[in-house]
Amino acid sequence: MSPQRKQFLRQLTAHLVLIIVCALVLVPLVMVILASFRKGNFPPNALWLSLDQWTLDHWKYVLGIPYREVMNATSGETRLIQAQTPPLHWFFNSILVASLASLGIILLAGTAAYAFARLRFRFRGPTLTGLLILQMFPQVLALTAYYRILSYIGQRVPWIGLNTFPGLILIYLSGISINIWMIKGYFDTISISMEESARIDGASRFQTFFRILLPMSAPIFAVVFILSFIGMISEYPTASVVLQDSAVRTLAVGAYSLVGEQEKLWGHFSALAVLSGVPITIMFLLCQRFIIGGLTSGGAKE
Amino acid sequence: MNDGAVHITDLVKTYTDDRGRPTFTAVKKINLEIQNGEFMVLVGPSGCGKTTTLRMVAGLEKITSGTIAIGDRIVNDMEPKDRGIAMVFQNYALYPHMTIFNNMAFGLQLAKKKKDFIQDTVGRTSKALGLDQMLERKPQALSGGQRQRVALGRAIVRNPQVFLFDEPLSNLDAKMRVQMRSEISRLHSQLGNTMIYVTHDQVEAMTMGDRICVMKDGAIMQVADPLTLYRQPENLFVAGFIGSPPMNLLKGKIERRDGGLVFAETAEQNAVSVPLIGQVEALGSKLLDKPVIFGVRPEHLTEESKNGSHVPVASSVDIAEPMGSESLVYLKAGTGNLIARIHGEALYEMGQPLTVYVNMEKVLLFDSETEKVIR
Repeated sequence: MSPQRKQFLRQLTAHLVLIIVCALVLVPLVMVILASFRKGNFPPNALWLSLDQWTLDHWKYVLGIPYREVMNATSGETRLIQAQTPPLHWFFNSILVASLASLGIILLAGTAAYAFARLRFRFRGPTLTGLLILQMFPQVLALTAYYRILSYIGQRVPWIGLNTFPGLILIYLSGISINIWMIKGYFDTISISMEESARIDGASRFQTFFRILLPMSAPIFAVVFILSFIGMISEYPTASVVLQDSAVRTLAVGAYSLVGEQEKLWGHFSALAVLSGVPITIMFLLCQRFIIGGLTSGGAKE
Repeated sequence: MNDGAVHITDLVKTYTDDRGRPTFTAVKKINLEIQNGEFMVLVGPSGCGKTTTLRMVAGLEKITSGTIAIGDRIVNDMEPKDRGIAMVFQNYALYPHMTIFNNMAFGLQLAKKKKDFIQDTVGRTSKALGLDQMLERKPQALSGGQRQRVALGRAIVRNPQVFLFDEPLSNLDAKMRVQMRSEISRLHSQLGNTMIYVTHDQVEAMTMGDRICVMKDGAIMQVADPLTLYRQPENLFVAGFIGSPPMNLLKGKIERRDGGLVFAETAEQNAVSVPLIGQVEALGSKLLDKPVIFGVRPEHLTEESKNGSHVPVASSVDIAEPMGSESLVYLKAGTGNLIARIHGEALYEMGQPLTVYVNMEKVLLFDSETEKVIR
């Protein structure tokens, strides 16, 4: 075999593999997008729509815009349809919950990680290990406990009970040990001498944390924020137990309610699924500029 | 003004683990008086406790017991910012996300100084250090020497009573190191502040220090000015640590041979023996048959005999390092090597026999057990 031919085959194989991987990612996405524009409620199963199948009805439903639906094909009778709680409402619920919880996680995990990385105290090691072990149990295992706890709290402090965002956020904030580990790992790579220098310059612990360590740690906070945000936008089990009123549902809970036992509104569901990708994409683009290397370079020579 | 004197009394540092159990004692009850305006160098091998001592003066490390006083205030429980100190770190420790101006101004801003004052102080200091053209840059855009200069500037604007340096030059290349060395020395003579300077490099210690404190294993071995340290080391450690190449040290004992006193190396064969004359003979007469260590600096082994103070030792050249004006000659003599610093532009060949003359006026004897110098 000539070298050129060998080279060609090698590139061909590489490209085939890449094309297959891309297809694996893109085909389902295309199917969902097409299902959201397809007349009638069909599950995402086609890669092509003929012109007469196109409709914006599902998107109108999701965005809460009233539209007419044909009730009887022979008589041409239609009815006006508008979602009682527009799914767009769930969308904003999700963004609210995910943003607040992610911010809370950064605040809590950041300060906790600071303590584990920089302070020396009794049981520091065992606590860190404990956090790691705790993280190995899925949060879902404690779902019934969360339900009881929230309903108990809700009877006394109604605004943190069941069917409230603070209640859900509270539960999300309990699952931060992996984030503590991640941030601590990052802090460990930053030379402590800059903080010592700040201390000599007269900065308090909080000033050192917020003005020296935090700006240098922007990349890890961006990563933690994005990961938490994505995780919470798509989190279903906990949200479905805590949020049961239609008005407070998050996107994932709401979307699932569209494909219930009796009626499977695949078109609506697909439109909603595509919509849920929007905040994640926006958040990713926003945070991306923080995820850059070299933020600490020039400060200390190792 | 006498605020810059530092008094260290019975200072102990014992490190503990997370549970508060002692793990390692880094500084063992040291006492040190540093005068106002003095340039004191703490020098020693790594792990000798010099940096720990400095960090306790800075307030970055808790004091286990003993006291540190700056001026007449005991600072044991004082926050670093209230101690009147400024510190320059080995790795610069600049704030990478701030401009050079903000790096230097950070301490003043925290102290809520007036904006004009900050502008003026940072402006003047940066100008003096040749940094005024790069105030808007970030540390990343600066070279190593410039970064260390920023760290210096940051210390200067705090207007401290005592400057603390933690091996500030060890990250710089050789040329930069020499330049910064003289810059820090000049700074000291301009400002006249007390400076405590930690280094493991005895050349830095010798060239910069008014006095040098040699430490080993958490204890002070000797405190003296550079030349005293060089000429009259109190113990074996200081003798071996100060000076490059190091002092030749031979193990042996004093014996009486043919009516005279002789230092005889302890060895199976080829032992070096040096007849003792002059003051060393007087010393040796008290130490007959006792184990001693015989020390002589390389420059006190010469090629030609001078007056009555030199005695010959037969040897052969092992390796010679001609350096131009002088040569370092590694001699095979007795069981080991002797290093001689021989002036002149002569070249030596390997294996060439060479008789060197020991300047007996400069010879030191150390007690083998206590390792102290015998006077």
